[in-house]
Amino acid sequence: MTPLTRRQLLKFGLGAAGAAALAGCGTPGLTSVNAAATIPPASPSSPVTLTYWAWLKDLQKVADIWNAKNPHIQVRTVWIPAGAQGGYPKMYSALAAGGGPDLAQIELRTIPEFLLVNGLVDLSRYGAAEHAATFDPTLWKQVSFTGGVYGIPQDSGPMATFYQTEIFERVGASPPTTWSAWAEVAAELRKQKIYIDVFPFSDASVFTAYATQAGATWLTPTEDGWVINMRDDATMSTARFFDAALDKDLVSTAFEAYSPAWFAAAGNGTIASLTDASWADALIEGISGGKGKWRVAPMPRWEHGGFGSSVRGGSTTAVLANCRHPKEALEFAAWLNGSQEGINGLIEHCGIGWSANPKFIGTSRMEPSPFFSGQNYNQEVFVPASTEQNPDWSWWPVTQQSLNILADQFRRKPGGQSLVDGVVKAEEQIMSVFQNKGLSIRKEEA
Amino acid sequence: MTAPASDQTRTRGRRTGEQRAPWILLAPFLLVFLFTFILPILAAVGSSFMQVTRSGLFGEQGVTQEFAWFHNYALALGDGSFITSIGRMFLFGIVQVPIMIIAATILAFLLESASARWPGLFRAAFFLPYGVPGVIATILWTFLYVPGLSPIIDVASWMGIDIDFLGPSTVLWSIANIVTWSYTGYNMLIIIAQLKSIPGELYEAAHVDGASPFRIARSIQVPLIAPALMLTTVFSIIGTLQLFAEPQVLQSVSPAIDSQYTPNLSAYTTAFAYNDYNVAAAQAVLIALVAFILSFAFLRLTNRKDQ
Repeated sequence: MTPLTRRQLLKFGLGAAGAAALAGCGTPGLTSVNAAATIPPASPSSPVTLTYWAWLKDLQKVADIWNAKNPHIQVRTVWIPAGAQGGYPKMYSALAAGGGPDLAQIELRTIPEFLLVNGLVDLSRYGAAEHAATFDPTLWKQVSFTGGVYGIPQDSGPMATFYQTEIFERVGASPPTTWSAWAEVAAELRKQKIYIDVFPFSDASVFTAYATQAGATWLTPTEDGWVINMRDDATMSTARFFDAALDKDLVSTAFEAYSPAWFAAAGNGTIASLTDASWADALIEGISGGKGKWRVAPMPRWEHGGFGSSVRGGSTTAVLANCRHPKEALEFAAWLNGSQEGINGLIEHCGIGWSANPKFIGTSRMEPSPFFSGQNYNQEVFVPASTEQNPDWSWWPVTQQSLNILADQFRRKPGGQSLVDGVVKAEEQIMSVFQNKGLSIRKEEA
Repeated sequence: MTAPASDQTRTRGRRTGEQRAPWILLAPFLLVFLFTFILPILAAVGSSFMQVTRSGLFGEQGVTQEFAWFHNYALALGDGSFITSIGRMFLFGIVQVPIMIIAATILAFLLESASARWPGLFRAAFFLPYGVPGVIATILWTFLYVPGLSPIIDVASWMGIDIDFLGPSTVLWSIANIVTWSYTGYNMLIIIAQLKSIPGELYEAAHVDGASPFRIARSIQVPLIAPALMLTTVFSIIGTLQLFAEPQVLQSVSPAIDSQYTPNLSAYTTAFAYNDYNVAAAQAVLIALVAFILSFAFLRLTNRKDQ
């Protein structure tokens, strides 16, 4: 046998490396870590360090409370940009490259998107069930798919109406309890050149929350694939209602909530109220001169049924697929989001949204608020709101793209296309997105 | 008899050594080039022809990958936002590239003219923005674009002019301004290098003939720097299609920039927000093809004019 020359060796080497590289460059995320054997917990004598990517500020301070008590499980937090603004792309590319952190902040609505790329560890294989009772069942359902549990709920955003008492009194209105009363108050306010609220075309999650309250369930996971229904009565009547509100110029579309222009308008009293999630309180407190002017009332109801409140936002602590210590990561996530210590820490340092543990809303939230006219609004309004949620709502694997599609349709409203038509067109587009991803989807038969 | 034989081996040894030396010296470059350039391109082209089919709700009951021919290309081309983004870059390029190249040429002529003062200082000053990374440059400009922060908007409003740098119809030109600011100095330097290679005798002859500076520029300098102008234009056309950092950073202050504002943003969103790596690969290949066609068309056009 002739010995190999150096050049031949080099050729073989390069060829093999090239083939390996090409094989590795297939579409990422096709294999699931949940099909492999579970990883046993590390022995207490060998401490593990977990990395946690999140966009909560000062999260390390909360992690340090845990670190002090658990020398064998140390958590190191890394700040990343908020989800769709760069955090998720960062996680997806890290996962595609076979890396990434052990734990990550992932919004409830994004959990199914990570499932699509096999990005999450099924925590039910590491004993998540024993923590289920700690958390809000509606939220727990939103992290549970196909028999697995893919994240520990961190917070949510039950909705209510924040309003300026003085402006409402000026038109002799009390906070509307129904959406038709809301429209009447809005019409009265318009006579004073005041808008009751804004309606964003570019963020469809607000419309989605209104439709959720009315009782819509757009996508349902079933045994034989996804079932879509965006043309149900709940969604269509919500769309018709806001079509009418927009046609009568009852809501402003000139700017979105929390934009500099909105803060100015809310400060000078040309925006009277805001129907949004519990976490809006911290933002409203940023309105200059707003102290003592605002109160919180329950969200208006739909006459034809639906629920007392809705939800916008909400995150989880999820364990990413390349985590080497899922058992330890689960323990930390359950402590962080379920224990009194963790929840208080998250509220104090990170300004977290509504607690995912229905038995403990956080010590500081049990007190009356000087900013909100001395009202104990968390106990009075948000505790009931958190229980009056649509329990059937489920997010789906292309949520972000679907909301973008919906927003693109809504942007045509000023050009004359109704929201109703926009939703109908969006449903078709969302169906084709599912199909293009090779997922099975069908329309719900009426 | 032995002497010539050993002589021959030595020559052969030297010759193979001579043949091998360039490859050994090139190897570090070639390896990096292969692994970070050629292989990723091949992987992207390969990926653009693949399609993933999932069974179950998320693919938990099995995922198959199959060859899909031009399915992903059809999806990319059927995506109105992606096509719009390419059209937007056409508009951008038609306006911004000529402005930048003309500005670079004028700056180069001024600095290379006999009456220029401190050309070294100004050359460095004009080139300096190129040293600022695109992201940082955009953040710097953001301070001049955002209402409430921008002194320009303040001054304009005192005079009763309402400027919105970030609106749907203006933000593209705000980006063009950043790009022009960043790259004019770089292009100027390439043109200066070419100007410096014009032999002094040509200028002398022109002076003897009594040519004005304008005549010298028109009849000597412009024709002789034509290759540099072509090079900078082709680079700029390619750069325009690859616009990414500036709109990505401005996105946070301008709602007019959607997630598919430029072709590269579109591919990025498709890959890392929508998790559709195959369609994203097809988009990337399409962007490269468009850049290739445009550069080629430009070269053909200018060559024909020469003839």
